[in-house]
Amino acid sequence: MHIFISRTGQIFLNNFRYQLLFIFFGLALCQPIISIAKENSNCSDASPIIFGIIPFVSAEQLVIQFSPIALYLSDHLGIPVRIETAPDFVEFARRTHEDKRYDILFTAPHFYPQASSRAGYRLIVSVDSPGMWAVIVVPRQSPIHKLDDLKGKRLATVPPAGLATLLVRKYLNDAGIDPDEDITIISTPSHDASLLSSYYGVTDASALMQPPYAAASQQVRDNMRIIARTDSTPHIPISVSPRINDSCKSEITKLLLEMSTTQKGKEILSHNSFSGFKQTKPEEYDKVRDLLAR
Amino acid sequence: MLSAIKNLFHSLRFRLIASVVTIEVIMLSLLVWNNISIIHTTHTDRLRDTAISMIQQIATTSGNYMVAVDYATLKEYLSNIISYKELSYIVVVDRDENAVIALGTVTPEARPKIDTHPALVNDNVFDIAQNIQVAGQPMGRMLMGFSLSLMDDAIHKSRNRGITIALIEIILTILVTIIIGLGLTRRLGLLSKAAGEVETGNYSVTVPTETDDEVGKTAAAFNRMVAEVSKRTQQLLYEEKRTQQLLTENRLLIKKSLEVQEEERKHLARELHDELGQCITAIQADAESIRDLSPECDHRVITSADAILNVSAHIYDVVHSMMHLLRPSILDNLGLEEALKDEIDVWKKRNPKISCIYDFDGDLSNLGERINITIYRIIQECLTNIVKHASASHVSIELKRDRENLHLSICDDGIGMDSAAPSQAHIGLGIIGMRERIQALNGIFMHETSTDNGFQIFIKIPNDKEQ
Repeated sequence: MHIFISRTGQIFLNNFRYQLLFIFFGLALCQPIISIAKENSNCSDASPIIFGIIPFVSAEQLVIQFSPIALYLSDHLGIPVRIETAPDFVEFARRTHEDKRYDILFTAPHFYPQASSRAGYRLIVSVDSPGMWAVIVVPRQSPIHKLDDLKGKRLATVPPAGLATLLVRKYLNDAGIDPDEDITIISTPSHDASLLSSYYGVTDASALMQPPYAAASQQVRDNMRIIARTDSTPHIPISVSPRINDSCKSEITKLLLEMSTTQKGKEILSHNSFSGFKQTKPEEYDKVRDLLAR
Repeated sequence: MLSAIKNLFHSLRFRLIASVVTIEVIMLSLLVWNNISIIHTTHTDRLRDTAISMIQQIATTSGNYMVAVDYATLKEYLSNIISYKELSYIVVVDRDENAVIALGTVTPEARPKIDTHPALVNDNVFDIAQNIQVAGQPMGRMLMGFSLSLMDDAIHKSRNRGITIALIEIILTILVTIIIGLGLTRRLGLLSKAAGEVETGNYSVTVPTETDDEVGKTAAAFNRMVAEVSKRTQQLLYEEKRTQQLLTENRLLIKKSLEVQEEERKHLARELHDELGQCITAIQADAESIRDLSPECDHRVITSADAILNVSAHIYDVVHSMMHLLRPSILDNLGLEEALKDEIDVWKKRNPKISCIYDFDGDLSNLGERINITIYRIIQECLTNIVKHASASHVSIELKRDRENLHLSICDDGIGMDSAAPSQAHIGLGIIGMRERIQALNGIFMHETSTDNGFQIFIKIPNDKEQ
């Protein structure tokens, strides 16, 4: 019996046709298993998953920064994960709240409470960082050195509903400067646009969130100077739509949390200058709930 | 008409002009065809490049709108572009191939087959597609259709313009070629005309040389040739005239000679008849008297007298025969027809193995002395020659007279002779003599013969009583 098996094995190993036949049947047997595995994916009923990202930078920049995360999720979930954004913050909020368009939501901290309350989005993680704040920057050679110097000047900000705008307005008010009377607020479509407007001299100063500022090119940052920073807020939350079932939610959460533990995950996160994601309680965002009310 | 066309095709001028015009037409046609091909290629390539450039640029610009799902703004942006005159439609599809924007002459569901080049389009719309990508990530697809109508119009106009220019050029070429061709061939025409004049005998014609080119040299050579031909022709004419004069004189001499000969023969025959005949008659009368007067019928006297009578009778026969040869008296007494019949009958009796038939037609009574003796002598000579040389078994003689001419033919079925053989010379004198006699009467003498085909003589003498 042992000899028979040995001889059969020898013939098999020496015959290319048998080897090819074996591979074919092997693949044929594996295919249903793979298919069953895919169908049994926790997120298969949500295919494709729409990864909605608030338009805090240009659409192209946004794709550059978040495509690696989308691909990472897609590879591990076994279903396509598509990046989407909106023309502006207001439309993004409308799509979030009214259309419930996005399956995974990457939105500004002050938008999350409404997304949660109005559309049922559930927080899964937030960017693993102590917090985030807005900065007011001016060109390095600018005569503006303190907040009072901004009076009578033009200050570029993100759209009115943007966190940076809201934080800066609060900060200016707290400092005794009326943002509607003492300075001229000029809305730009994104953080990049806000930063570049003063860099190119279109405005006198720019207000934007610190993470996009940190992600700006070195050349731009070397020629700018921070004159003020606002209070810190919790970092950007990532939540999921009510359409996403619990098991899928758990899987997405797990995948995001694991990113900072692997070399590949760190490499992906480097595109966003994120150190990783952490589990966060929804209550942490209560303190920014009132910003929109202002 | 056909002859005129044939002459036209034989004309050097026509062929020269037709050749140049044909070559021009072919070359210009090729040029126009090539230009049309280049125009078509240029236009189609331009449309392809424009279309590709446009769709790439628009797809790049549309990427941000697709990421933001801002179809309203994208549609507004594309609405401005669709007004581009060559653009038929724009369709934008998302990542699921759902049409999100459809502008122009197309339905949102339409997915036209993508074309590779405007030259390969069948439906008059050049359909192209471009993936919309942002940072390398697919965001959808853009389909655009470019109408070929404007391009076709432009090609059509360019082609018409090219054909018009070519036609004008062809017409101008034909005109210029005809003018130049006429100029170039004019002198050849003069040369041809002058050659025609020379052909008709006008040697006074000259062709102007004008220039020292090939035609001028040919004209000069032609003039020299014509001058030389004229000189030689004048010389030949002079020689011919002189020869003709000599011939006339010679014939006159022969005529006189024959007249003298015939007169002499006639005189000699008359003398023989008058003098020798009387003498022989006298001798015979004396011999008979001697025989009759011999006493007692002396046997020796009678024998001698009989011998004298026999000898004198023989002399008479010889003389009579000679007289007949010199001048057949029957010719003078009974005329040509009877003389010929007599001569032929005598000849037939002497040559019973040769059949001879003759046919005389027309009035032969008043042909004149010279014609009578000439015809008589020629028939006499021919019959003698037939006996001597022909080995013939049959001879036919035909003599006819009509209002203008006298026709004589003498044919035998003998061995004949090779008309080209040099040996003909040995009978040449007889033939020459006969020809001279006929030509002396302004007549025509012809003979035909070949080996084993007999000998035929044909004579025609004009009726002229003066002769």
